[in-house]
Amino acid sequence: MEVLLGLTGKDFTLVASSKAAMRGVTILKATDDKTRELNKYNLMAFSGEAGDTVQFAEYVQANVQLYSMRNNSELGPAAVASFVRGELAKALRSRSPYTVNLLLGGFDPITQKPTLYWCDYLASLAQLPYAAHGYAQYYCLSTLDKHHHPDIDLEKGLKILRMCSDELKRRLPIDFKGLAVKIITKDGIREEDWVDDKQVLPA
Amino acid sequence: MASVFTAPPLADNGPGYSFKQTPTTHISADGTRQHSFYPYTDNGGSTLGISGADFTILAGDTRSTSGYNINSRYVPKLFKIGGEGPEHTGSSIVLSVVGFAADGDALKERLDTVVKMYKYQHGKNMSVAACAQRLSHILYNKRFFPYYVHAILGGLDEEGKGALYSYDPVGSYEREQCRAAGAAASLIMPFLDNQVNYKNQYIPASGYGHDLQPRKAELLPRNTVEELVRDAFDSAVERHIEVGDGLQMMIITKDGIEEVYSPLKKD
Amino acid sequence: MDSLVAQYTRPAEQQEGYFDEDQLELSQGSPQLSLKFALPPVANSSAWLRAMTDDYSNPNCPIKIAHGTTTLAFRFKGGIIVATDSRATAGNWIASQTVKKVIEINSCLLGTMAGGAADCQYWLAYLGMQCRLHELRHKRRISVAAASKILANLVYNYKGMGLSMGTMCAGVTPQEGPALYYIDSDGTRLAGNLFCVGSGQTFAYGVLDAEYSYDLSDEDALELGKRSILAATHRDAFSGGFINLYHVKEDGWVKHGFNDTNPIFWKTKLEKGEFSNVTSELV
Repeated sequence: MEVLLGLTGKDFTLVASSKAAMRGVTILKATDDKTRELNKYNLMAFSGEAGDTVQFAEYVQANVQLYSMRNNSELGPAAVASFVRGELAKALRSRSPYTVNLLLGGFDPITQKPTLYWCDYLASLAQLPYAAHGYAQYYCLSTLDKHHHPDIDLEKGLKILRMCSDELKRRLPIDFKGLAVKIITKDGIREEDWVDDKQVLPA
Repeated sequence: MASVFTAPPLADNGPGYSFKQTPTTHISADGTRQHSFYPYTDNGGSTLGISGADFTILAGDTRSTSGYNINSRYVPKLFKIGGEGPEHTGSSIVLSVVGFAADGDALKERLDTVVKMYKYQHGKNMSVAACAQRLSHILYNKRFFPYYVHAILGGLDEEGKGALYSYDPVGSYEREQCRAAGAAASLIMPFLDNQVNYKNQYIPASGYGHDLQPRKAELLPRNTVEELVRDAFDSAVERHIEVGDGLQMMIITKDGIEEVYSPLKKD
Repeated sequence: MDSLVAQYTRPAEQQEGYFDEDQLELSQGSPQLSLKFALPPVANSSAWLRAMTDDYSNPNCPIKIAHGTTTLAFRFKGGIIVATDSRATAGNWIASQTVKKVIEINSCLLGTMAGGAADCQYWLAYLGMQCRLHELRHKRRISVAAASKILANLVYNYKGMGLSMGTMCAGVTPQEGPALYYIDSDGTRLAGNLFCVGSGQTFAYGVLDAEYSYDLSDEDALELGKRSILAATHRDAFSGGFINLYHVKEDGWVKHGFNDTNPIFWKTKLEKGEFSNVTSELV
């Protein structure tokens, strides 16, 4: 029951991931961070097979940074997405594929546009205005279909994210221990101080 | 000796293999044999029905298959229901069934008996609406041991308008304008949606983009419907191996049931 | 004597033609909605039935039963809104786009249909019969609580036999006011303010929960019901077709149309700018 959510607005990308680290029926940690910063403007959120997730994320992180050291230039969001998809696809056809689902939130410093890429463990990649992985797809996509507009500001974006988070708390049978929310803007990546103590019950 | 009987006849899907699923026998360690219970076979073929302002047409091909074998070129899938005697004189309800022919026969017999008993007991003919509901209940009575059939029932309603009802194997039913069933349903039904209900048809030059006006469906005249039925079956015969040989059509009007048989390709 | 009888008698399943009781039933015109069902002559009939008809556990099953999909109902100050889609699927085949998934039990009671189409149709018709009998016997209309309990007890009797239904009973009576119950084939029966049932339920919940309030106006409530079904038809492939809308008021239910989703979708997208994931340009 891992939750990954992402949405773009006028000048930002929001990426949210659940804070619970679960193994079987046990929650091992309630402050887990399922994201890695790939560079200043790119953040990757991941879920899937235990072990694979962090291994793959840190591998990608290291290689994106290696690229910028060698070539003295940062990779843009589209380049990062293509690279990540390529690595995942390569692994899929090897003896040890990574079972990892990803959201790649970014901000393109050249076009000044926020970006969001959705990628599943079979390495199918899509650029979307909003995206989700896991059970969040079932509960949040219809909310996003209704309330999302491409030109919303950050305040509205956080409001829509709150609607999604409330719906998950209301309907998901297992507690995912709230969301960790990160914001990517022209100034880089920062963590939102997301207050998550309210209880939400079905009507 | 056991191995002779447990093996499917010839190779899987080989020539002459006449059942999609053959009975298998499991022999457990203690030597008890358990024969699996598979009382169905698919006899192929297709049926369709279209209703108009004052008539209903039901049609079905007459080929009977099992697996890749053609057992007969003339096994009707359309049955008159009710009326007098074995000829169903004066009947105005038609039942079509595809799927497992034996279940279809059993279903037809049951419905026919019910409709005839109704007339003996009430002194009047059963309405199609009542007959349609009764058919649903007959199918549902075998909810836990279903009839392997897809039924379509046609007639005229109490206002004299064409009435057509379609069923799933366990009796969920709905009155519709047109319905195709059986092996070639997936080939015929989209054609009917387009040509009978004018689905995805727009009035030319009625606007641009989203303003384009959809073409309103209307009740079709009898000769148009007959042509549609022929076209549907000629096309289905071209692309489905289980459809062919002959086309049986029954046209229900206020004057009774007209039955027309015409040939289809026999290859 | 017994051995003589045994010699010339065959077990029931080998008997040809009609059984005696069948013949009796046919000549007497037994009740149409009966509780007598034919069973296959095997030890474990439900497992057998599952092998024959459950296209989820066995995609190659020979008999594909039509399934229903997204339905919702919610209580608010103006009564109850009931909304459904109209698609029936058998495996990947869309068997129908025009199914009436709201079943009018009587002028004050509605039932919804999700799961096996035949199961819902048959048992809600049976429920309608029981409700009418209650009226005749007690000279007053049955309460929604009692009606839903008849259905819940009924399906519980068949638990494990393979019935599949997720239904909601919505109605108004002088005693209880507007009442809403959820009943499923496991035997669950719940009273509540808001339910979505079917494969598209989560998508409908997503829109409905976010804007639901008991104090909604009639227009807003109808619009929210319609929009929630639209959301489900957009994201769930097993939902689609037409949106069937009902409003249950104090003096009975009112139908608010059976409308094609496609024009509603484009109207919603173009006029309100929603569904920004759908583009008309090629990227």
